[in-house]
Amino acid sequence: MANVLDLRRRIRSVKNTRQITKAMKMVSAAKLRRAQERALAARPYARMIVSVLESLRRRVDLYDETTGNLCHPLFLTRPEKRVLLIVVSGDKGFAGAFNANILKTAYQFIAGNPDKEIDIEAVGRKGRDQLRRRYPTAAYTEQADENGKLRQVRSPRQGPVELTGDHPGLLVKLEAPRVEDLAHNIIARYVHEEIDAAYIVYNEFKSVIAQRLVVERLLPLIELGSPQITGAVEKTAEEKERLAEAALSAGIELEPADTTEAEEEAKKFGTANVDYIYEQPAGELFRGLLPQYIFSVLFHAMTESVAAEHAARMTAMDSATNNASDMIDALTLHMNRVRQAAITKEIIEIVSGAAAL
Amino acid sequence: MAEDTNQLRVRLVTPERTLIECDASAVELPSKSGYMEVLYGHAPLVAELGAGDVTIHGGPDGLDAITRYNVSWGFVEVLPGRVTILASDALKPEEIDVQRAEQQLDRGQKMWKEAGESEEAYDEALRVISEAEAKMASAAEAVKPH
Repeated sequence: MANVLDLRRRIRSVKNTRQITKAMKMVSAAKLRRAQERALAARPYARMIVSVLESLRRRVDLYDETTGNLCHPLFLTRPEKRVLLIVVSGDKGFAGAFNANILKTAYQFIAGNPDKEIDIEAVGRKGRDQLRRRYPTAAYTEQADENGKLRQVRSPRQGPVELTGDHPGLLVKLEAPRVEDLAHNIIARYVHEEIDAAYIVYNEFKSVIAQRLVVERLLPLIELGSPQITGAVEKTAEEKERLAEAALSAGIELEPADTTEAEEEAKKFGTANVDYIYEQPAGELFRGLLPQYIFSVLFHAMTESVAAEHAARMTAMDSATNNASDMIDALTLHMNRVRQAAITKEIIEIVSGAAAL
Repeated sequence: MAEDTNQLRVRLVTPERTLIECDASAVELPSKSGYMEVLYGHAPLVAELGAGDVTIHGGPDGLDAITRYNVSWGFVEVLPGRVTILASDALKPEEIDVQRAEQQLDRGQKMWKEAGESEEAYDEALRVISEAEAKMASAAEAVKPH
């Protein structure tokens, strides 16, 4: 049986661990609060882009009257043979099942589409590391074209699923220009028919307790505005309870500030019931707006995912702190028993020694 | 009511947040096809913005004050009493990094030279150049206000 000294040492070490997890929880809570604010502040823009696009689509014919061509290639739908999957995971661990769940959803998506060629674009370090171990990375070679200019040419596929790019550090400091680059890259690939569809896997974050994992279709644009969610995993009631508990103990409000009024305002953007003068022809407006729409969907997904990651870490660390407390209680009880047993044993020895005299 | 004051409600929204929301007497906008000024009672209009300065006259700092933001791409909705600007990014003139703008200009000119026959590459180079030039012009104007 362990002696009192050993137990005391263990209790001390568990106490230290508890302090660390508690600190990590508070840090995550502070980060979550900031991420939540950012996600909220980013909503009007996304909402406005959608409403102006919607109203433009209602008023303007998608097909050119004279040529019959589509006014923008992003509206074109092709049979889905090559699919791009954007996986938004976290940059760091210690967030419970956050990263594992995202990857599980991504694998399910891949397993559900066995006859398609899938390109993966990994955002977030954890997901990238995992995916890189599992799938080959696409190889590119430089080749000179007829003008003698060097051009990146993709080598033949090594398998049906390949990793085409990663974006480490994108989520650490989420800035618009880098997300915009990614959006332009995706659009270029779609327009050049390298991909026939694009999906994004991420953790949606409406509020601390309303979260879910979603697979959303980014391209082709079939219906604007309403998120085109093809698969979603809701949190269980138990998980929600844990989240709420953790949030309360860290002093975070469950429902974020009411923004319905601002949202309503944003929805009206470009949709007033009047005849607008369009400064530019429709095709040009679409050319400017659609990339921005793709960008705003991506940006939205990333801000939400960052907030969800912090929420997940906060919950995980809250559980860890609680577990450490339980462990300390159990160890203290055990230690007291051991001490008591030792004392009893000594008394028995003395008493039986005296009786033998 | 607005009729008495002829004030416009101006909002400038960027992907990150709503940057400004205030009443103003006039707004100058860098539309793709040239600058335009919007006053109270303008006909409803939707336009794409190019690189340039959004100037708000009589903004939050008083009737004669002007507030300027440099915008590289945007979208605007004008209603008789309201102007809403969606900008991909908006910088105050004093926030502009002139050195970076110069680098961007060099990059744009290099792209222009290397564009070859591709129309797309030319457009892209032109966009980069005009963005850089607008930034530099805006920063230069901040030094000597008119």
